Amino acid sequence: MKTWRRHTLTGYSWLMLVFLYLPISILMLYSFNDSRINATWSGFTWKWYVSLFDNRQVMQALMNSLSIGVISSVLATVLGTAASLAIKHYSLRWRTIVNGLIYLPIVIPEIMMGLALLVLFSQAHIELGKWTLIMAHVTFSMPYVMVIISGRLADMGKELEEAAQDLGATPWGTLRHVTLPLIMPGIIAGFLMSFTLSLDDFIISFFVAGPNSTTLPLYIYGLVKRGVSPEVNALSTLLIVSTVLLVIIAELFRRKDSKNGQIHF
Amino acid sequence: MLNKKPVKLLAVPALLWLGLLFVLPMLLIALLSFFKRGTYGQVVYEFTLNNYIRIWDPLYGQIFGDTLVVAILTTLLSIVCGYPLAYYISRLEKSSQQIWLLLVMIPFWINFLVRSYAWVIILRSQGVVNTILQSLGLITEPLPLLYNSGSVLLGMVYTLLPFMVLPIYVSLEQMDRRKLEAAYDLGATPWKAFWHVTLPMTKTGVVTGSILVFVSSIGMFVVPDVMGGAKSALIGNVIQNQFLSARDWPFGSALSIVLMLLSMLLILLYFRAVKAGEAKEGAA
Amino acid sequence: MKRFKSMMIGALTAVLALTAVGCSSSEQEQQVLNIYSWADNFDPEVIKDFEQKYNVKVNYDIYGSNEEMLAKIQAGASGYDLIQPSDYMVATMIQLGLLEELNKENIPNMKNIVSTFKTPPFDKENKYSLVYTWGITGIAYNKKYVKEAPTSWSDLWNEEYKGRVILLNDPREVMGMALIKNGYSNSTTNKEELEKSFADLKKMLPGVMAFDTDNIKQKMIAEEAWIGTVWSGDAAIINGQNPDVEYVIPKEGATIWADTLAIPKGAKHKDLAEKFINYLMDPEVSVKNYESIGYSNPNEQAYSLHSEEYRSNKMIFLDKADIDRAEWLVDVGDTLQEYDRYWTEMKSGR
Repeated sequence: MKTWRRHTLTGYSWLMLVFLYLPISILMLYSFNDSRINATWSGFTWKWYVSLFDNRQVMQALMNSLSIGVISSVLATVLGTAASLAIKHYSLRWRTIVNGLIYLPIVIPEIMMGLALLVLFSQAHIELGKWTLIMAHVTFSMPYVMVIISGRLADMGKELEEAAQDLGATPWGTLRHVTLPLIMPGIIAGFLMSFTLSLDDFIISFFVAGPNSTTLPLYIYGLVKRGVSPEVNALSTLLIVSTVLLVIIAELFRRKDSKNGQIHF
Repeated sequence: MLNKKPVKLLAVPALLWLGLLFVLPMLLIALLSFFKRGTYGQVVYEFTLNNYIRIWDPLYGQIFGDTLVVAILTTLLSIVCGYPLAYYISRLEKSSQQIWLLLVMIPFWINFLVRSYAWVIILRSQGVVNTILQSLGLITEPLPLLYNSGSVLLGMVYTLLPFMVLPIYVSLEQMDRRKLEAAYDLGATPWKAFWHVTLPMTKTGVVTGSILVFVSSIGMFVVPDVMGGAKSALIGNVIQNQFLSARDWPFGSALSIVLMLLSMLLILLYFRAVKAGEAKEGAA
Repeated sequence: MKRFKSMMIGALTAVLALTAVGCSSSEQEQQVLNIYSWADNFDPEVIKDFEQKYNVKVNYDIYGSNEEMLAKIQAGASGYDLIQPSDYMVATMIQLGLLEELNKENIPNMKNIVSTFKTPPFDKENKYSLVYTWGITGIAYNKKYVKEAPTSWSDLWNEEYKGRVILLNDPREVMGMALIKNGYSNSTTNKEELEKSFADLKKMLPGVMAFDTDNIKQKMIAEEAWIGTVWSGDAAIINGQNPDVEYVIPKEGATIWADTLAIPKGAKHKDLAEKFINYLMDPEVSVKNYESIGYSNPNEQAYSLHSEEYRSNKMIFLDKADIDRAEWLVDVGDTLQEYDRYWTEMKSGR
């Protein structure tokens, strides 16, 4: 590739990153705003960070969101990956039916799904709380995982798998040592997607949450009635900064590690 | 040939899960669309087709149409914004790839409403953009950047971009580079190589991404409220209103089912079109 | 691959342990009061005091609209002990049999409430509910841009404010405003009156900058909007941040609303909920509570205890004459479908 073309592409990608982070930087800035309401800039303050740590509701909501996010996205990724691997071997007709089934939860308006789950849980006398939230989150994010991984599988040639089997590998062996490593980027993308969906879901969560299981989006949605509080901005800032720091630290460790000759996935 | 049966069984847990927690409750709520709304907004269990007849009102047709236009535009813009980004990421070293992917996703871990209101701060009449332009002397009156269809589109693309980037990246990442090199060896220009080799080989990603973005934008209702000033409702808003202000669950359910069928139909047509294009390509 | 798997398993167990700890630590022998309400509707200190005084734990969850709350309560598995439905929703919930009768013996402080709210039309004897916060929807305007103080709803139609008018994002509020402007009841079920008022409303539409309920305050404070329909309590908050914004109740009258305290059917801690209601109605507690949340206190015994600043605020303590002119929104039954269709038509643009 010619260098100017490469530079254009790099520039464009950085521009997209700026686009993604533009509103984020604004809310970071406003987390230091003295005014309770996000309307005008009225001076610098740290006070929202101080009051954030005193606010047990926010901290509880954050913990709920994170634990529900991790558990549900792990479950969704495992179930979704397994299903995609199997569906690949189905006959065309069954594949079409199952694929249709996967797209349905994506297509259905969220509020319908939320109400449907609420009705189901209350009819089955399942107490609303963290576990109903997890069940609901797995239900709406698993299809996304399956769509992404099925796409990956469809593009993947059969050569390697067939070669492995010709060399006498069992189907399980092929799956574990050939197929899974090959689709790993798809699995990671699917996991990231379902974690993100879980962390940001409001509507479905609203209907299946019970007392003491308020997640961050639920809490924030309630706050919006009084205007997004600077505490929420402060919390968002901390979330972003700590994740970015974690990424950087992990990268530094990896660099150090790979100097010692190890390679990770 | 080895026995594939055990591998096929891997789908059982997922399908059971979806059957129990999705299909079953969905059937229950879909039935609602054939019942009546009671005076106090409760559901009265008397069979009626009235809810579907009510949808046959040009008003709702127009809103369905507007929603489609917005969804298609959002999808196209997302491809334009997302493809080059995904392409760039897939060209990086393995480890940098993961970092970039995370960097792209992290903004979406911040609450959706909080992000949308941040855009309002940037774009409003006394907002960041207008203040900068005014202090540079480029404009005298603030530009109306918010509460129009442009700002709705911006909000949609911003919200749905990862749905496009991730599938395209997954597809580009496993592309066989040797074919590209072969094209270059045969004297293809970079554009031609991209058009005839890269793009067709990453079609799955683009198709998946388009469907995810399209379908999500069709049901969107917060963006038109926050970025569009709630002035022009999309079908998502109308459905939301049935449940949360008109308290008319049967009508809301009927609208949802029509929306769902319509989306499925469009996805099917889209797949057909892609398949047809493929056949043509193969023939050429 | 191995690494990935072990990482996943590690993360999973860690989180499971965390959730387990989170579940068990908070539920000792203490009684728990589960409140389901609007955001920031209590002074956090008042809740803390109540917890300490009676050695209980208060759980405070939030909803954003009456209908969302209704859906949860209707499904029956909610687990809440105290809810805060608005006026018309109280009537609906009584009709649907979703509210418990209040045991007035447990709430002696009920007598402190101002007489206007002892007989609200949605619950005439306070059998199921008690007014907690209230206000009137009037016109807020920024005197920098709106030179002449508005006196009538028709001032919203003024061409000079084109593109700077803001309306509440609520079908009943907006239609109710247009109905009142045209001299009808805000809860009419008369189709002609509705049609005429809607035609009038449509003329104003090109001048509307946005519909908003949640962030209307920001839009007024930041001077995006110059004039609009605003609740009195919100107007007080806006005025505190931007003194140029004034508030007026138009001469044609206006809509009055209230959020109440009520107990959903089947609540597990009904006695405790009543204890809490009684606590909130205590004059001294209410002074602390209402000055913190910034809404009007319906507690008559508390008036003399309030600070001068709070008592003299005309957006919090509204004139008696204005209250008398104001009208409650009443459930319109099947006509709600008409309201909704007009609302959709208004928003279908062009």
